[in-house]
Formats: sequence, C-alpha cells, structure tokens
Amino acid sequence: MTALLTLDYVAEKMKEYGTAEQVRSNRIRIRTTPERVSNAIQKALESLGCDRLITISTADNGTTFELFYHLIGPHRTVVSIAIEIPRDQPEVISMSGILSPAGIYERQIHDLFGIMFRGHPGLKKIILNEDWPADEFPLRKDWKKNPDTYYGGIKVERT
Amino acid sequence: MPEVIVPIGPHHPALKEPVNFRVIADGEKIVRLELDLSYNHRGIEKAAEQRDFIRVLPLLERVCGICSHSHSSAFAKGIEEIMQIEIPPRAQYIRTIIAELERMHSHLLWLGVAAHEIGFNTLFMWTWRDRELVQDTLEEMSGNRVHYGMNEVGGVRCDLTPHQVSTALERLPFLEERIYQYVDMVNDQQTLLLRFKGVGKLTREEVLKYGAVGPTARASGVDYDARRDDPYFVYTEVPWNVVTDTNGDVYGRTCVRIGELRESANIVRYCLENLPKGPVRVNAPKIAPEGEIFSRYEAPRGELAHFIRTNGTNKVERVDIRTPTLANWTSVAMCLVDQNLADIPVIVAAIDPCLSCTSRITLINTPGGKPGIVTFDELRKRGQTYCQEQGPP
Repeated sequence: MTALLTLDYVAEKMKEYGTAEQVRSNRIRIRTTPERVSNAIQKALESLGCDRLITISTADNGTTFELFYHLIGPHRTVVSIAIEIPRDQPEVISMSGILSPAGIYERQIHDLFGIMFRGHPGLKKIILNEDWPADEFPLRKDWKKNPDTYYGGIKVERT
Repeated sequence: MPEVIVPIGPHHPALKEPVNFRVIADGEKIVRLELDLSYNHRGIEKAAEQRDFIRVLPLLERVCGICSHSHSSAFAKGIEEIMQIEIPPRAQYIRTIIAELERMHSHLLWLGVAAHEIGFNTLFMWTWRDRELVQDTLEEMSGNRVHYGMNEVGGVRCDLTPHQVSTALERLPFLEERIYQYVDMVNDQQTLLLRFKGVGKLTREEVLKYGAVGPTARASGVDYDARRDDPYFVYTEVPWNVVTDTNGDVYGRTCVRIGELRESANIVRYCLENLPKGPVRVNAPKIAPEGEIFSRYEAPRGELAHFIRTNGTNKVERVDIRTPTLANWTSVAMCLVDQNLADIPVIVAAIDPCLSCTSRITLINTPGGKPGIVTFDELRKRGQTYCQEQGPP
C-alpha cells in the first residue's frame, strides 16, 4: 500500500485526456471522450500505477449512456474514467485486449444495455437467457415489457 | 487428438447452483472453458429502480443468500454517504459484528463444500456442524438465519441485548478451538494436501492481470482488502490483519479462508466486548439528494462494488452491482487451462462461486393456521396494523 494519489498529480498526468475531479478522498474521476478512452486507460495503467479494473459501471441518463471504468492500483485510489456515448449509436472500443477482466463486464453490458464493443472476441449472451429477444435491452430507461413477446422460461397457456 | 466439448450443467451433481460450462478438452486436459451464467438472472437492478429506499434494502439482501448482509451494507453505506448522515457508533459496531459473523459462516460453508468436492465428507460434516453455532448467534441477534434484515438506512433495525452479547461471547472459544483444529488438519491431512496442493495455481501476475478478488487474490499474495483499503464501519478501530498466502493454489485459498476465520472471530470478540452505548439508528430523510457514489465492500468472497446514482427522489436512478464471483470467473477460466477434468469441481469451488439463488413466493402461516400465499399488499397491511398497535418506538 502506498500513499493515495492526489488530484494535482492525476490532473497533470492525464491532462491531455480531460479534466480530473476529486469525488471523495480516495476517488478521482476523469471525464474523457469515447475516442480517447483506450489511450486514457493505457496511460492510467502506465503512469498512474493502476494495475486492475474493479468494474465497468453503466448508467442510462435518458440522453446518453455513461460508462465508468473504475481502476485501482497499489495506491488504493479508485481512478474512474468516465465517457458518454450516444444512444442512437451505442458503440465503443473493447478494452478486453488491454484488460482481460473487461471482457466479462462488457458481455454483461452488451446484454443489458445493448452497447456494442468493437473488437471484443466473443460478445455472446452471458446474463440474459438464450430465449431473450435480441433487440430488447432491459436496463435501458425506455424499456417496457411487451406482453406479446416471449422472454424465455415456461410458456403460460392463456385460455 | 480432436478436441471434445464436455457440457457441465446447468443441472449437475457437482454444481451447487445453476451454471453452464462448456469445457473444451483434449483427452483429460482442459483446453478452454466457456460460460453461461444466465440461469439465475432476476432483474434485481431494474427492480431496485422502482422501489424506495425502505423497500430496496430487503430486495438487495436477496441478491445473495449467503452474503446478504454485504449487499444491504454496501448499499446502505453508499446512500448514507449521499444523504450525508452519520450513523451512531453502536450501529456501526453491530453492522461489523453481523458482517464478520457472516464471513465466518460463509467460510465454514465453503470449507465444507470444498471438502465435499474432494470426497472428504467427514470434514464437510464437522464444518457444517460448527457453522450452526454461527448461524444460531445470527438467528438470536437478528431473528433470521439467512436474510438478517439488520440494515436500515440510518442504522440497524435491532439492538443487541446484554444476554445476546454474553451468549455470543460464550460460543466463541469453542469456535476458535475448532478453527485451530482445521489449521492442523489442512497442514497434515494427506487427503486434503493431495487434492489441494498445486491445483488451480494462479501467480501474483496472473491474479492482477485477470482481476481476481478476495481470498482467491490474497492466496497469491495480492493484498487487496476493501476493509483496509477503503475503510468503512469500525475496521479502523478494531485490531485485525489482512491474511495473505503465497501458494496461489487451492491449498493457499484454504489457508487464507481459515486465517480469515480466525481474524473474524477476533473482530467479533473485540466488537462485542467494546460495544459502545447509545442509539442504534438515526432518522434518515426519505429523499436522497442528487448524487453518485461508488461503494466498495469486502464480502466473504471478495470485493463487492455498488455504483449508486440518485436523482433527488426517494428512489435510486441506477444501482450497478458487481459481485465478487463475476470478477473471479475470468481467473477460473484461465487457471483451468491444462488442468485435469476431474479437478473442475474443486477449482470452481475454490473461488466459492455464488450464483445467487431465490424463491419468489412466500409460504407462511396465515392467521388461520393454514399455510398459504401472502401477497405483498396483505403483508404491507399487516405491517401497518402491527406498527399502529405497537405505537411509536
């Protein structure tokens, strides 16, 4: 365990990718763009000493999808790299090449939000069952259960 | 020799919960593993967006039947931070006691399951008998053996009586004696050593690369522990150590878990003996201001992360749960490569997979004495009448 990262240090190292803000004593968030996310993560791994990905959190704010890549290292500061991607073209580069654990989280996000990860080696269903319709993504805010769609499981005979 | 696909699950005697593995094998050796976890998806994250903070905690407790306190604690402490409320010290201590008892029962359960997977059923029976003592303590404190329902936004639901504290303290010496016996067993029982040593090995570099968490990571010398790295509850006040090991195999994971059992017993004792006086909860506001929190918690299986976003109402905008088992799957898939097919159960069991189980209907005794199904509205009405009869606390 080493000392916590300071905001100034992170802001200096990551200044080409976006602004850093201190969310809490051991949480620093950097907002960047989907095009630069891969480089930003690479940079955080190399120069901020981060060595693992905790998770990729996703949220739907109605206008865009937000992705947060939470990284941590021996300094025990969570460095979150945040991006927003448009709802009409939900696509972002896959991180599974740089960070292997990202693979499973991306499959999960693909299932639940319908975000495409370019370059993912096997973007197959993992969380939702195989009968789930391919064009419905339950965690999107505008998703409603359609009474006529079959979502898997035991079929109920209506008489 | 051509590769063969061996399907395992979703229903298989070696699996405790439904999961489907497609093991690609070359003779006896495993080449690759493909996973399907879809058999337990219940849409809890979606359901959580539709419930207010009072109702969302019982729902989140049901994410997992074993680490139920972990999920409600991770959520409650996140929401409390967004609301900027400080919970009383006594509540912090009680939360810690329940959390550590939960860790003990979970690790004892794991030790039994691992012993069962290698055909050592005597150890399985012993650990599960000892686990009953922990379960009894939890039942006395909270009223439940599994979903304790202790957390509430703003504190805990039940206070501990002096009698509960003293009975819990009386049980600890016996448990500790048993834990020491397990340490001896793990070190000299040939049955255990032959099946655990060198099986499912992960080096320190591999653990960091594949993002394993919890005892799986600590067994390879990666000392990530959210209790120390991101302190919550009273872990800064209680003397305890992060348990690590350097073996990196199933044997190492067993040693870490047994070491943690010992640490947990010490934490429980310290908390019970130094339980501060005072209230156990504060009145929390019904509405949380707009905010965002990434709440980390060390569950028995590893680091649990809740990403919570609130929107100024009494419901959450989003709760994103990353369970420790999901983080560990990548490392399992990697450490199975080149191992024997027969070692799958014990390697998979070594991460203590928790695919979370559920039942959706509550069968209880209706006032007439007959078993029946109680709808949510009936249950709510019953709760309201009960509270009116009891009067304000």
